[in-house]
Amino acid sequence: MSTDAPTPRDLSERALGTLLLLPAALLLLLIVVYPIATLFWNSLHSVDQANPQAGELFVGIDNYTRAFADDRFWTSTLHTVVYIVVTVPGALLIGLGLALLANKPFRVKWPVRLGLLLPWALPLVFAGLIFRWFFEYKTGVVNDWLVALGMDPPQWLSDPTLAFWAICIAIIWKASSFMALMLLAGLQAIPRSLYEAAEVDGATTWQQFVEITLPMLRPAIFVALIFRTITAVQTFDIPYAMTGGGPGDATETLAMYIHKTTLDFLDFGYGSALAALMFVISMVATSGYLRYTRRSAGRSEE
Amino acid sequence: MRFSTGLVAALVGLGVAMSAAAETTLRIFTGGQQRPDVMRKIADEYQKKTPGVKIEVEVGGATSEAQQQYLSTVLSSKDSVLDVILIDVIRPAQWAAQGWAEPLDSYLGADKQKILSQYLKAYVDADQVNGKLIALPYFADSQFLYYRKDLLEKYKRPVPKTWDEMMDTAKVIMDGEKNSNLQGFTTAGSPIEGTVCTYLVPLWGAGGELTKDGKLNLDVAASREPFQLYGRMKQSGVLPKNIAEIPTDRIRIDMQAGNLIFGMTWSYAWNRLENDPDSKVKGKIGVTMLPHDPGGKSATCIGGWQLAVSAFSKNKAEAVKFARWLSTPEVSKMQAIMASHMPVFPSVFKDPDVLKANPWFADALPVVEGAKSRPVSAQYPQVSDVIRSNMNAYLAGTKTTDVALGDMKSRLTPLFK
Repeated sequence: MSTDAPTPRDLSERALGTLLLLPAALLLLLIVVYPIATLFWNSLHSVDQANPQAGELFVGIDNYTRAFADDRFWTSTLHTVVYIVVTVPGALLIGLGLALLANKPFRVKWPVRLGLLLPWALPLVFAGLIFRWFFEYKTGVVNDWLVALGMDPPQWLSDPTLAFWAICIAIIWKASSFMALMLLAGLQAIPRSLYEAAEVDGATTWQQFVEITLPMLRPAIFVALIFRTITAVQTFDIPYAMTGGGPGDATETLAMYIHKTTLDFLDFGYGSALAALMFVISMVATSGYLRYTRRSAGRSEE
Repeated sequence: MRFSTGLVAALVGLGVAMSAAAETTLRIFTGGQQRPDVMRKIADEYQKKTPGVKIEVEVGGATSEAQQQYLSTVLSSKDSVLDVILIDVIRPAQWAAQGWAEPLDSYLGADKQKILSQYLKAYVDADQVNGKLIALPYFADSQFLYYRKDLLEKYKRPVPKTWDEMMDTAKVIMDGEKNSNLQGFTTAGSPIEGTVCTYLVPLWGAGGELTKDGKLNLDVAASREPFQLYGRMKQSGVLPKNIAEIPTDRIRIDMQAGNLIFGMTWSYAWNRLENDPDSKVKGKIGVTMLPHDPGGKSATCIGGWQLAVSAFSKNKAEAVKFARWLSTPEVSKMQAIMASHMPVFPSVFKDPDVLKANPWFADALPVVEGAKSRPVSAQYPQVSDVIRSNMNAYLAGTKTTDVALGDMKSRLTPLFK
């Protein structure tokens, strides 16, 4: 505002501000920065709790080169990528449908909103267990329907392809409600007047959707996609509860392999390197979206 | 919000007040599969006879590996929250390497050899690593063949001695009963710890060994036998199609519902099959040695649970006292009657009350004494992962014998160098 030198009162206020921020900053340092720094430090050392006498030796990038030569790292990463490719668009489509439905002027809104919130509020492992029961061979409801239709019941959870689809269905069910909540917020921010004007001009419902709803919703869609992609990179709970990575390790994700390496095999050094690599995958996946949104934001300003 | 903060404060206050009232609070960890209800009753007995000690029972996951994942987190961070921990018989080597268990030798003092000589020898061997006593035996276990006595009698079939006899009998009964829910034979098949034994039992039954002089020994013909056996069973329909989805307790559940003729499982199942209110097979179950190959010998995996005292416990002396009491013939007898957990003392097998609750214990002692152990290694979790995931993939039909055995060999070789 003014070009005057700061008065003593301004200074003391700034000092007070810094002081008030300090606890939060320290907390952030302790909870976010310290574990990440430890992770990177561990990834450059041999921290093998199964052989603690060996000590924690500095091994440079050995853990990373070991990962690149490890088949299981590549297959579990591939599985993770396939889950991302299927469940992110899947959850977006279903979530968009749910959001459009929930945005309709129902007289009683709470059952729809509750239906949207419940899958999101359910812990992931519970969702995994519920779907495991659905897809159970002998007692599951899915095979019950198939048998009623006169079909042979498949072994959903011990056939690699079927297990993959069963897990995808569970993830999409779980994730689309969060997508829908994000998109619903975006939908409600679109001014009614745009649709009224379009109706006066004689636009069909489909034209209104393509010309008004989708463009106006784009920022919300991108935010939802970024959130969903980051969680998809970390896919763990649902396959863990449904198949435990089986049959063999046909449905094992990178997060499950990291969990196994650290908590089962107690190889914290190698596990940390794998986790750092997962972080890189997250960055790559989301930076794609960010670059796209920045470019499109620039274009709309032209 | 204000309400819940108040509630938490009240609970914390209550907790403080309670721990002040009792002199010592010990926390024992047990798995959901190891009858925590029975552990609670036994702990109540201890509280009665030991004033000033309060026992809390913490219940963990249902499978051995789920429990270990949790324990690894607690113990890697040197948390003192647990005092006594029930661990699987396969763990002492790993626990010794980690330094998670308080060595118990000094607590037993000069009587050590005399005390240890009373136990089944297999457990004394399993619980000592490099001359240090890592844990005390709590209950013994091994796998048995559970069978439907009533159905065998109905079809006039003898109790099977070989795998082929068992398959034929199962086939005859399944064809005769015409009940699509009735399965012939199951064992653990999902990628869990129990599936390691699913591979090892037929391997041993065919005269094979996983390791010889510390080196991997899978280049012999017997190493293919488990795959071929389950392959034949699957083809004939005796093994259910979803065998790769079956965890340990599912065998007991299917048997209890009357949907299983033969099951390969552990001793705990007996008590549930005979006593659970919803059991449809009370008095209809027989238990015998596992089948083997013609010319081979019956083999079984040694199981059982051990009492380790946490190296990070703040009440080690009291914790050791409690663990030592849990590892007495008196408690072995209580467990045998309440949970059909097999005693760790040969003498308790012959106790009339124990035999009344578990008539088949009369023949069980030689089976447990002859039970073989899974490979002993500080890296056992990796060994287990290789065996169970390949066995599981084979049972699911995603790997052939050659691929599964080849993958097993290539991934186990570096672990047994």
